Amino acid sequence: MTNTYIESFPAEAKVVRAAFYSSFLALAIGGLFGIIQTLHRTGYYRFMDSADYYTVLTAHGVLLAITFTIFFLVGVFTWATTTSLDRPVEDIRFTWAWYGLMVLGTVLTAIPIFAGFTDSEMSASVLFTFYAPLQGHPLFYFGLVLFVVGTWLAGVDWFRSWWAWKQEHPDERIPLPTFMVLTTTLMWYIATLGVAAAILLFLLPWSLGLVESVNPLLTRTLFWFFGHPVVYFWLMPAYMMWYVLLPKISGGKLFSDPLARVVFVLFLILSVPTGIHHQYLDPGIAEGFKFIAMTNTMFLLLPSLLTAFTVVASMEHGARQRGGTGYLGWLKALPWRDPVFAGMALAGLMFAAAGFSGMINAGMNINYLVHNTFWVVGHFHLTVGTAVALTFMAVTYWFLPQVTGKALWSRSVALGQVVLWFVGMTFMSNAMHRGGLLGIPRRTAEPQYEGFEFEAAVGSVGELDAQIALGGALLTLSLVLFFANVVGTALNSRSDDLPANEYADTLSGPSDAPLVLDNLKLWTAIAIVLVIFAYSFPLLSIIERGGLFGPELTELPVSIGLGLEYLWVTTVSTVTAAGETAITIIAGVSS
Amino acid sequence: MRISKGALLIVIAFIAPLIVELRTVLAWVNVELTLLESAVLGIGLIGVILVWALWPQEGTSESAG
Repeated sequence: MTNTYIESFPAEAKVVRAAFYSSFLALAIGGLFGIIQTLHRTGYYRFMDSADYYTVLTAHGVLLAITFTIFFLVGVFTWATTTSLDRPVEDIRFTWAWYGLMVLGTVLTAIPIFAGFTDSEMSASVLFTFYAPLQGHPLFYFGLVLFVVGTWLAGVDWFRSWWAWKQEHPDERIPLPTFMVLTTTLMWYIATLGVAAAILLFLLPWSLGLVESVNPLLTRTLFWFFGHPVVYFWLMPAYMMWYVLLPKISGGKLFSDPLARVVFVLFLILSVPTGIHHQYLDPGIAEGFKFIAMTNTMFLLLPSLLTAFTVVASMEHGARQRGGTGYLGWLKALPWRDPVFAGMALAGLMFAAAGFSGMINAGMNINYLVHNTFWVVGHFHLTVGTAVALTFMAVTYWFLPQVTGKALWSRSVALGQVVLWFVGMTFMSNAMHRGGLLGIPRRTAEPQYEGFEFEAAVGSVGELDAQIALGGALLTLSLVLFFANVVGTALNSRSDDLPANEYADTLSGPSDAPLVLDNLKLWTAIAIVLVIFAYSFPLLSIIERGGLFGPELTELPVSIGLGLEYLWVTTVSTVTAAGETAITIIAGVSS
Repeated sequence: MRISKGALLIVIAFIAPLIVELRTVLAWVNVELTLLESAVLGIGLIGVILVWALWPQEGTSESAG
């Protein structure tokens, strides 16, 4: 007996393992497209037509930003609920059903993307940010819908587990990992309303030819309603790992359970009403609305800074438990030899740098300097590409033995892999940020213009390209090492000498957290109110000015027009009623 | 050794962002390093770190260390 996850929850371990392997497949293909576009854009090796760059970019973005991250996180969340509630899922067939739906959605989405490489008329080279005026094949949107519905059902699965647990433990606090899963899921439900509306009401009917045109600004705004909080959907599982696994691996305890709950509540209420900060340069949205989005975004620094404090304090506690002393001398006592720890620590450090570049993006005036430049690409390769991806890869070295019952193939290779990722991303993202400051654009295979040359303040553009290519090559090598370890571990035989399936205990436990923190209805209501404040007037203004389906459209299919009008009126009245209810609840709690 | 092999690897890895950013920082004070000079500086720093890490601590012998 080793008390691993697979021994405690054998059926769930299979689903978690399947989710992880699906995620890794997406990572492999997406990573391959990453090095292809890096070498193409920098001009070091070109074997495709530049027009195909956008197909490569779409596959890279969708497979990594959507498929890799979300398949991994549904595995982590399923592990978190079953482990922390100490109960299996309510119905394993339901769990397999949502996993199957996500797989089906991915396949249907991938078909038109990959068809873009052929002579077929089917294509969906619409990038990860798939708003109008770019139009993809209907199958692309249909697949995305199925994928998102799969994640919604996964959320239902986790809530079912919690509700069942609550019946048996009516007076107990929600265990921290489950609390994190539930708050993140609630945020996801609110956030995906935007993309559901964008696809089902506009993009899918448009690609099917049911409507002639759409209002591009409306679809962009609905996309970013989802497009920014999706960042937190990736990030929250990484945060969860920093809170519940990193302190354990460090040799200590989580510094504060209440602070962790506060952080997740803040992300629930602040993640969605921020999306307009991606549209600072969009005409058609008044500056005032953009200012509100900027204010909300800046508030998001608070949970990130709380996390930095709590996680570092937990690491220091662990180091001192291991004999570390001094103001900084305790750093030497941390388990740097452990790839799980080293990977997460390096990811956290890179996230600090990402936070600084993120503040530039979020600032309304200074954003004008870097908007749609290579800077932004550098930024999100530090966030999703390192804080999230490196954390996911590092914890894979802990999870693989848990869900396979097999020892990790090579800890040394794993350590080399996470360090190589850190170094590779340093080279690549630094050059991207600097390129952005020169005004080099993003989303293009040919970042050069006739009669004009970008001038670097330090070095040259050629040197920046070399740095990007070097970084990309190191990242690709790191991926090869990662997959060698995954495959090597899968081929290992079962082991009886594996760490137990446990997560960090706390120095300050849930009993120190105010009860109101567990009031999920209250926080959801506040989140909805903030979304109404941030989005009602911008959306109404966009529709009033540009029409639901664009200003030029004079003939609307009557059935669709009436249906949408009815839906719009119903939505506005429902949202208003929900807002009033939320205000009543808040007033009740505060009085 | 003064630090563990794992910690040494991480410290060496930190040289990458340090050197990459140092080039930009020095340019502010009109010190412009070429790529080659940056690389030499990085290798030199790694050498210093290796000597520091591998040098036996005062009062300890090789066999005790």
